[in-house]
Amino acid sequence: MRWLLTVRGEASPSASGASGDFTLGSPDVSNTFTWIRLERGLKAKVWARRLEGTTSFRLLVQFSPDTTASPPPTSTVDSAHLASPGALELEKRRPVVIQYSTGLEGVKFAYSDTGGAGKIAFVAEVEVTDEDE
Amino acid sequence: MDRVVDELGLVPEGGLMTLYFPCYESAIVFRVRSRDNKGFEAFDYGPLPLPAGTPLPTYEGTSTTVPADGVLPARSYTRDALTFPAPAFMSTSVFDKNDVFRLSKDDADTLFHVRLFVHPPLVRVEVRIPSNVPQYGFQRRRASVGVDTLWIGAKRGSAEAVHLPQVQTGYRFGNDAYWMDLRTFVRFVFGEYRVEVPRSPELVFDVLTKRAPSYWLTLPVFIRTDALEEVLTKCYGFPTVDGRPRLFKLYRADEREKALKDYAEIMKQLRV
Repeated sequence: MRWLLTVRGEASPSASGASGDFTLGSPDVSNTFTWIRLERGLKAKVWARRLEGTTSFRLLVQFSPDTTASPPPTSTVDSAHLASPGALELEKRRPVVIQYSTGLEGVKFAYSDTGGAGKIAFVAEVEVTDEDE
Repeated sequence: MDRVVDELGLVPEGGLMTLYFPCYESAIVFRVRSRDNKGFEAFDYGPLPLPAGTPLPTYEGTSTTVPADGVLPARSYTRDALTFPAPAFMSTSVFDKNDVFRLSKDDADTLFHVRLFVHPPLVRVEVRIPSNVPQYGFQRRRASVGVDTLWIGAKRGSAEAVHLPQVQTGYRFGNDAYWMDLRTFVRFVFGEYRVEVPRSPELVFDVLTKRAPSYWLTLPVFIRTDALEEVLTKCYGFPTVDGRPRLFKLYRADEREKALKDYAEIMKQLRV
Protein backbone atom coordinates (compact mmCIF):
# COMPACT_ATOMS: atom_id res chain seq x y z
CA MET A 1 0.00 0.00 0.00
CA ARG A 2 1.32 3.39 -0.97
CA TRP A 3 -0.58 6.62 -0.55
CA LEU A 4 0.82 9.93 -1.68
CA LEU A 5 -0.68 12.43 0.73
CA THR A 6 -0.32 16.03 -0.40
CA VAL A 7 -0.53 18.47 2.47
CA ARG A 8 -0.54 22.25 2.43
CA GLY A 9 -0.26 24.73 5.24
CA GLU A 10 -0.56 28.49 5.38
CA ALA A 11 0.17 31.04 8.07
CA SER A 12 0.27 34.80 8.44
CA PRO A 13 3.02 35.70 10.88
CA SER A 14 2.73 39.24 12.19
CA ALA A 15 6.35 39.95 13.04
CA SER A 16 9.90 38.83 12.48
CA GLY A 17 11.15 35.90 14.52
CA ALA A 18 7.70 34.35 14.77
CA SER A 19 7.15 30.62 15.05
CA GLY A 20 4.20 28.22 15.12
CA ASP A 21 2.64 25.08 13.75
CA PHE A 22 1.06 24.89 10.34
CA THR A 23 -2.55 23.76 10.15
CA LEU A 24 -2.68 21.22 7.35
CA GLY A 25 -5.17 20.59 4.61
CA SER A 26 -5.25 17.96 1.89
CA PRO A 27 -7.46 17.13 -1.09
CA ASP A 28 -7.89 13.64 0.40
CA VAL A 29 -8.92 14.90 3.82
CA SER A 30 -12.12 16.82 4.49
CA ASN A 31 -10.99 18.52 7.69
CA THR A 32 -7.84 20.31 8.80
CA PHE A 33 -5.27 18.79 11.11
CA THR A 34 -1.87 19.45 12.64
CA TRP A 35 -0.32 16.06 13.32
CA ILE A 36 -0.04 13.18 10.91
CA ARG A 37 -0.55 10.34 13.34
CA LEU A 38 -0.94 6.86 11.93
CA GLU A 39 -1.24 3.37 13.32
CA ARG A 40 1.68 1.11 14.06
CA GLY A 41 3.29 -0.63 11.15
CA LEU A 42 3.02 2.33 8.81
CA LYS A 43 5.72 4.69 7.58
CA ALA A 44 5.46 8.29 6.50
CA LYS A 45 8.07 9.50 4.04
CA VAL A 46 8.32 13.23 3.53
CA TRP A 47 9.42 13.79 -0.04
CA ALA A 48 9.14 16.99 -2.04
CA ARG A 49 8.40 20.31 -0.44
CA ARG A 50 7.57 23.69 -1.87
CA LEU A 51 7.94 26.80 0.24
CA GLU A 52 6.47 30.14 -0.70
CA GLY A 53 6.03 33.38 1.14
CA THR A 54 6.00 37.11 1.07
CA THR A 55 8.60 36.94 3.79
CA SER A 56 11.43 34.58 4.62
CA PHE A 57 10.88 31.66 7.01
CA ARG A 58 12.20 28.28 8.01
CA LEU A 59 10.05 25.16 7.53
CA LEU A 60 10.57 22.52 10.21
CA VAL A 61 9.60 18.87 9.95
CA GLN A 62 9.02 17.78 13.53
CA PHE A 63 8.61 14.34 15.01
CA SER A 64 7.08 13.30 18.28
CA PRO A 65 7.35 9.78 19.71
CA ASP A 66 4.20 10.40 21.76
CA THR A 67 1.54 12.77 20.53
CA THR A 68 -0.67 11.90 23.51
CA ALA A 69 1.73 13.54 25.98
CA SER A 70 0.97 17.07 27.07
CA PRO A 71 2.81 18.71 25.52
CA PRO A 72 4.14 16.14 23.07
CA PRO A 73 7.94 15.86 23.13
CA THR A 74 9.08 17.10 19.75
CA SER A 75 12.31 17.06 17.80
CA THR A 76 13.09 18.66 14.48
CA VAL A 77 14.17 16.04 11.95
CA ASP A 78 14.50 18.24 8.89
CA SER A 79 14.26 21.86 7.88
CA ALA A 80 14.32 24.08 4.84
CA HIS A 81 14.88 27.80 4.59
CA LEU A 82 13.15 30.26 2.30
CA ALA A 83 15.79 32.96 2.50
CA SER A 84 13.86 35.67 0.69
CA PRO A 85 10.30 36.31 -0.52
CA GLY A 86 9.36 34.02 -3.39
CA ALA A 87 9.24 30.26 -3.77
CA LEU A 88 11.60 27.37 -3.22
CA GLU A 89 11.10 23.83 -4.48
CA LEU A 90 12.95 20.98 -2.87
CA GLU A 91 12.79 17.52 -4.36
CA LYS A 92 14.51 15.20 -1.98
CA ARG A 93 16.47 12.29 -3.36
CA ARG A 94 16.01 10.56 -0.02
CA PRO A 95 12.97 11.23 2.08
CA VAL A 96 12.67 11.87 5.78
CA VAL A 97 11.23 8.58 7.06
CA ILE A 98 8.98 8.35 10.09
CA GLN A 99 8.34 4.82 11.36
CA TYR A 100 5.16 4.36 13.33
CA SER A 101 6.06 1.69 15.87
CA THR A 102 3.58 2.30 18.66
CA GLY A 103 0.90 4.31 16.92
CA LEU A 104 1.58 7.21 19.26
CA GLU A 105 4.07 8.89 16.96
CA GLY A 106 3.29 11.90 14.85
CA VAL A 107 4.86 14.27 12.39
CA LYS A 108 3.95 17.91 11.97
CA PHE A 109 5.17 20.93 10.07
CA ALA A 110 6.12 24.16 11.80
CA TYR A 111 7.66 27.49 10.88
CA SER A 112 10.20 29.69 12.58
CA ASP A 113 12.56 32.59 11.96
CA THR A 114 10.12 34.59 9.92
CA GLY A 115 11.63 37.66 8.31
CA GLY A 116 8.66 39.85 9.11
CA ALA A 117 4.91 40.12 8.76
CA GLY A 118 3.47 38.44 5.68
CA LYS A 119 1.99 35.27 4.29
CA ILE A 120 3.86 31.99 4.19
CA ALA A 121 2.87 28.59 2.90
CA PHE A 122 4.26 25.21 2.03
CA VAL A 123 3.22 22.05 0.20
CA ALA A 124 4.69 18.66 1.00
CA GLU A 125 4.30 15.22 -0.48
CA VAL A 126 4.06 12.62 2.25
CA GLU A 127 4.13 9.02 1.14
CA VAL A 128 2.30 6.72 3.53
CA THR A 129 3.19 3.07 3.15
CA ASP A 130 3.14 -0.24 4.98
CA GLU A 131 5.93 -1.66 2.88
CA ASP A 132 9.49 -2.13 4.06
CA GLU A 133 11.10 -0.16 1.26
CA MET B 1 3.41 -21.80 -17.79
CA ASP B 2 -0.05 -20.58 -18.72
CA ARG B 3 -1.17 -17.36 -17.16
CA VAL B 4 -4.14 -17.96 -14.92
CA VAL B 5 -5.19 -14.30 -14.87
CA ASP B 6 -4.85 -11.45 -17.31
CA GLU B 7 -3.27 -8.06 -16.72
CA LEU B 8 -6.36 -6.99 -14.76
CA GLY B 9 -6.17 -9.94 -12.41
CA LEU B 10 -9.22 -11.53 -14.02
CA VAL B 11 -9.58 -15.04 -15.40
CA PRO B 12 -9.49 -15.12 -19.21
CA GLU B 13 -12.03 -16.97 -21.30
CA GLY B 14 -11.40 -20.67 -21.09
CA GLY B 15 -9.44 -20.31 -17.87
CA LEU B 16 -10.12 -22.06 -14.62
CA MET B 17 -10.98 -20.52 -11.28
CA THR B 18 -10.89 -22.45 -8.04
CA LEU B 19 -12.90 -21.17 -5.11
CA TYR B 20 -11.77 -22.69 -1.84
CA PHE B 21 -14.20 -22.67 1.08
CA PRO B 22 -12.34 -23.07 4.40
CA CYS B 23 -15.51 -23.98 6.30
CA TYR B 24 -15.93 -27.09 4.15
CA GLU B 25 -12.23 -27.73 3.56
CA SER B 26 -13.18 -28.20 -0.06
CA ALA B 27 -13.47 -26.27 -3.28
CA ILE B 28 -15.36 -25.62 -6.47
CA VAL B 29 -13.55 -25.51 -9.79
CA PHE B 30 -15.16 -23.30 -12.40
CA ARG B 31 -14.28 -22.92 -16.03
CA VAL B 32 -14.89 -19.44 -17.37
CA ARG B 33 -16.80 -19.99 -20.62
CA SER B 34 -17.04 -16.33 -21.40
CA ARG B 35 -16.65 -12.86 -19.95
CA ASP B 36 -19.66 -10.65 -20.48
CA ASN B 37 -17.87 -7.39 -19.79
CA LYS B 38 -14.70 -7.88 -21.77
CA GLY B 39 -13.29 -4.47 -22.54
CA PHE B 40 -15.14 -2.60 -19.81
CA GLU B 41 -13.87 -4.15 -16.63
CA ALA B 42 -13.35 -0.88 -14.73
CA PHE B 43 -16.23 0.60 -12.78
CA ASP B 44 -15.47 3.97 -11.21
CA TYR B 45 -18.10 3.79 -8.55
CA GLY B 46 -17.40 6.97 -6.61
CA PRO B 47 -17.31 7.65 -2.88
CA LEU B 48 -18.22 4.98 -0.37
CA PRO B 49 -22.01 4.80 0.06
CA LEU B 50 -21.90 6.56 3.41
CA PRO B 51 -24.49 9.35 3.60
CA ALA B 52 -23.71 12.39 5.74
CA GLY B 53 -25.01 11.95 9.25
CA THR B 54 -24.52 8.19 9.40
CA PRO B 55 -23.36 7.20 12.89
CA LEU B 56 -20.23 5.05 12.99
CA PRO B 57 -18.35 3.38 15.84
CA THR B 58 -14.75 4.32 16.53
CA TYR B 59 -11.67 2.33 17.50
CA GLU B 60 -11.81 4.09 20.87
CA GLY B 61 -15.25 2.64 21.59
CA THR B 62 -17.12 5.87 21.08
CA SER B 63 -19.21 6.91 18.10
CA THR B 64 -18.90 9.56 15.46
CA THR B 65 -20.89 10.82 12.51
CA VAL B 66 -20.11 10.89 8.80
CA PRO B 67 -19.46 14.62 8.18
CA ALA B 68 -20.21 14.59 4.44
CA ASP B 69 -21.32 12.02 1.88
CA GLY B 70 -18.60 9.43 1.32
CA VAL B 71 -16.25 10.70 4.03
CA LEU B 72 -14.89 8.12 6.47
CA PRO B 73 -14.19 9.95 9.73
CA ALA B 74 -10.91 9.58 11.59
CA ARG B 75 -10.70 6.45 13.76
CA SER B 76 -14.07 5.13 12.56
CA TYR B 77 -15.19 1.94 10.87
CA THR B 78 -18.39 0.61 9.42
CA ARG B 79 -20.10 -1.73 11.87
CA ASP B 80 -22.16 -3.36 9.14
CA ALA B 81 -20.86 -4.44 5.78
CA LEU B 82 -21.66 -2.07 2.96
CA THR B 83 -23.12 -3.07 -0.34
CA PHE B 84 -22.96 -0.74 -3.28
CA PRO B 85 -26.28 0.56 -4.61
CA ALA B 86 -26.67 0.55 -8.38
CA PRO B 87 -26.18 3.86 -10.16
CA ALA B 88 -29.43 5.56 -11.09
CA PHE B 89 -29.30 4.63 -14.77
CA MET B 90 -29.41 0.91 -13.97
CA SER B 91 -31.20 0.83 -10.64
CA THR B 92 -34.54 -0.26 -12.09
CA SER B 93 -33.09 -3.01 -14.23
CA VAL B 94 -30.60 -4.80 -11.99
CA PHE B 95 -31.66 -7.65 -9.71
CA ASP B 96 -31.05 -5.76 -6.48
CA LYS B 97 -30.85 -1.98 -6.70
CA ASN B 98 -29.16 -1.88 -3.28
CA ASP B 99 -26.34 -4.17 -4.35
CA VAL B 100 -25.03 -3.69 -7.84
CA PHE B 101 -23.12 -7.00 -7.80
CA ARG B 102 -25.88 -9.18 -6.40
CA LEU B 103 -27.18 -11.83 -8.75
CA SER B 104 -30.40 -13.81 -8.75
CA LYS B 105 -30.47 -17.53 -8.03
CA ASP B 106 -31.58 -17.83 -11.64
CA ASP B 107 -28.14 -16.58 -12.67
CA ALA B 108 -26.49 -19.82 -11.63
CA ASP B 109 -24.02 -19.76 -14.50
CA THR B 110 -22.85 -16.24 -13.69
CA LEU B 111 -20.24 -15.01 -11.23
CA PHE B 112 -18.90 -11.59 -10.45
CA HIS B 113 -15.17 -11.63 -9.76
CA VAL B 114 -14.72 -8.30 -8.03
CA ARG B 115 -11.49 -6.53 -7.21
CA LEU B 116 -12.22 -3.45 -5.11
CA PHE B 117 -9.78 -0.57 -4.82
CA VAL B 118 -10.45 2.24 -2.39
CA HIS B 119 -8.72 5.60 -2.23
CA PRO B 120 -7.00 6.62 -0.07
CA PRO B 121 -5.42 3.19 0.08
CA LEU B 122 -4.87 3.73 3.79
CA VAL B 123 -8.50 2.63 4.25
CA ARG B 124 -8.82 -0.84 5.77
CA VAL B 125 -11.10 -3.31 4.01
CA GLU B 126 -12.72 -6.58 5.02
CA VAL B 127 -14.92 -8.84 2.90
CA ARG B 128 -18.00 -10.46 4.38
CA ILE B 129 -19.75 -13.39 2.74
CA PRO B 130 -22.66 -13.16 3.48
CA SER B 131 -22.63 -9.51 4.34
CA ASN B 132 -24.06 -9.95 7.84
CA VAL B 133 -21.73 -12.68 9.10
CA PRO B 134 -18.37 -11.95 10.78
CA GLN B 135 -16.04 -14.46 9.22
CA TYR B 136 -12.53 -13.74 10.44
CA GLY B 137 -11.18 -15.39 13.57
CA PHE B 138 -7.90 -16.09 15.28
CA GLN B 139 -6.78 -19.26 17.05
CA ARG B 140 -9.73 -21.38 16.04
CA ARG B 141 -12.01 -18.40 16.53
CA ARG B 142 -11.09 -17.86 20.15
CA ALA B 143 -10.87 -14.25 19.06
CA SER B 144 -12.86 -12.52 16.38
CA VAL B 145 -10.93 -10.13 14.16
CA GLY B 146 -11.86 -7.82 11.35
CA VAL B 147 -11.82 -4.23 10.29
CA ASP B 148 -12.95 -3.29 13.79
CA THR B 149 -9.83 -4.76 15.39
CA LEU B 150 -6.64 -2.78 15.01
CA TRP B 151 -3.47 -4.23 13.50
CA ILE B 152 -5.03 -7.52 12.33
CA GLY B 153 -7.96 -8.73 10.34
CA ALA B 154 -8.09 -6.38 7.39
CA LYS B 155 -6.19 -5.29 4.32
CA ARG B 156 -5.49 -1.75 3.25
CA GLY B 157 -6.72 -0.29 0.01
CA SER B 158 -8.10 -3.30 -1.77
CA ALA B 159 -10.10 -6.47 -1.49
CA GLU B 160 -11.03 -9.32 -3.76
CA ALA B 161 -14.14 -11.45 -3.71
CA VAL B 162 -16.35 -13.57 -5.88
CA HIS B 163 -20.02 -12.74 -5.66
CA LEU B 164 -22.05 -15.92 -5.88
CA PRO B 165 -25.67 -15.80 -7.06
CA GLN B 166 -28.18 -14.81 -4.40
CA VAL B 167 -25.58 -14.41 -1.64
CA GLN B 168 -25.17 -10.83 -0.53
CA THR B 169 -21.49 -10.04 -0.27
CA GLY B 170 -20.50 -6.94 1.66
CA TYR B 171 -17.43 -4.96 2.56
CA ARG B 172 -16.48 -3.20 5.75
CA PHE B 173 -14.15 -0.22 5.86
CA GLY B 174 -12.07 1.42 8.53
CA ASN B 175 -9.98 4.58 8.87
CA ASP B 176 -7.44 4.07 11.64
CA ALA B 177 -5.66 7.40 11.07
CA TYR B 178 -6.01 10.04 13.74
CA TRP B 179 -7.56 13.43 13.04
CA MET B 180 -7.98 12.85 9.30
CA ASP B 181 -11.49 12.42 7.87
CA LEU B 182 -10.85 10.72 4.55
CA ARG B 183 -12.64 11.55 1.32
CA THR B 184 -13.09 8.16 -0.31
CA PHE B 185 -13.33 6.86 -3.82
CA VAL B 186 -13.98 3.31 -4.95
CA ARG B 187 -13.01 1.68 -8.22
CA PHE B 188 -14.04 -1.84 -9.07
CA VAL B 189 -12.25 -3.99 -11.58
CA PHE B 190 -14.59 -6.87 -12.21
CA GLY B 191 -15.28 -9.78 -14.44
CA GLU B 192 -18.80 -10.94 -15.18
CA TYR B 193 -18.10 -14.56 -15.90
CA ARG B 194 -20.25 -17.19 -17.54
CA VAL B 195 -19.11 -20.33 -15.82
CA GLU B 196 -19.51 -24.06 -15.73
CA VAL B 197 -18.03 -26.77 -13.58
CA PRO B 198 -15.79 -29.00 -15.70
CA ARG B 199 -17.23 -32.47 -16.04
CA SER B 200 -13.83 -34.13 -16.03
CA PRO B 201 -12.90 -35.61 -12.63
CA GLU B 202 -9.33 -35.90 -13.86
CA LEU B 203 -9.12 -32.19 -14.57
CA VAL B 204 -10.60 -31.26 -11.20
CA PHE B 205 -8.14 -33.59 -9.48
CA ASP B 206 -5.24 -32.08 -11.39
CA VAL B 207 -6.38 -28.57 -10.47
CA LEU B 208 -6.83 -29.35 -6.81
CA THR B 209 -3.46 -31.06 -6.61
CA LYS B 210 -1.94 -28.03 -8.34
CA ARG B 211 -0.91 -29.95 -11.42
CA ALA B 212 -3.15 -27.97 -13.74
CA PRO B 213 -3.12 -24.15 -13.76
CA SER B 214 -6.08 -22.44 -12.17
CA TYR B 215 -6.65 -19.13 -10.44
CA TRP B 216 -7.07 -20.03 -6.79
CA LEU B 217 -9.08 -17.79 -4.51
CA THR B 218 -9.73 -18.70 -0.91
CA LEU B 219 -13.02 -17.08 0.04
CA PRO B 220 -13.24 -15.75 3.59
CA VAL B 221 -15.95 -18.21 4.49
CA PHE B 222 -15.02 -19.79 7.79
CA ILE B 223 -18.55 -20.09 9.17
CA ARG B 224 -21.31 -22.06 7.50
CA THR B 225 -24.49 -20.15 6.70
CA ASP B 226 -27.85 -21.17 5.32
CA ALA B 227 -27.63 -18.51 2.64
CA LEU B 228 -24.46 -19.94 1.19
CA GLU B 229 -25.48 -23.56 1.52
CA GLU B 230 -28.73 -22.87 -0.29
CA VAL B 231 -26.81 -21.56 -3.28
CA LEU B 232 -24.35 -24.43 -3.28
CA THR B 233 -27.01 -27.11 -3.08
CA LYS B 234 -30.09 -25.66 -4.76
CA CYS B 235 -28.50 -23.36 -7.29
CA TYR B 236 -25.40 -25.37 -8.22
CA GLY B 237 -26.74 -28.79 -7.28
CA PHE B 238 -23.94 -29.98 -5.03
CA PRO B 239 -25.17 -32.99 -3.01
CA THR B 240 -25.23 -32.91 0.76
CA VAL B 241 -23.63 -35.17 3.34
CA ASP B 242 -24.73 -34.88 6.95
CA GLY B 243 -26.52 -31.68 6.06
CA ARG B 244 -23.54 -29.91 4.55
CA PRO B 245 -22.69 -29.39 0.89
CA ARG B 246 -20.34 -31.94 -0.57
CA LEU B 247 -17.92 -29.94 -2.70
CA PHE B 248 -14.67 -31.11 -4.23
CA LYS B 249 -12.51 -32.29 -1.35
CA LEU B 250 -8.76 -31.77 -1.53
CA TYR B 251 -7.41 -35.28 -1.76
CA ARG B 252 -3.78 -36.20 -1.46
CA ALA B 253 -1.92 -36.97 -4.67
CA ASP B 254 -1.85 -40.66 -3.79
CA GLU B 255 -5.66 -40.77 -3.43
CA ARG B 256 -6.33 -40.28 -7.11
CA GLU B 257 -8.75 -43.17 -7.64
CA LYS B 258 -10.77 -42.31 -4.57
CA ALA B 259 -10.91 -38.67 -5.63
CA LEU B 260 -11.97 -39.41 -9.20
CA LYS B 261 -14.81 -41.59 -7.98
CA ASP B 262 -15.97 -38.94 -5.52
CA TYR B 263 -15.80 -36.14 -8.07
CA ALA B 264 -17.65 -38.18 -10.68
CA GLU B 265 -20.50 -38.80 -8.25
CA ILE B 266 -20.74 -35.12 -7.45
CA MET B 267 -20.67 -34.08 -11.10
CA LYS B 268 -23.68 -36.24 -11.92
CA GLN B 269 -25.83 -33.94 -9.81
CA LEU B 270 -24.50 -30.54 -10.76
CA ARG B 271 -26.66 -28.01 -12.56
CA VAL B 272 -23.99 -25.58 -13.64
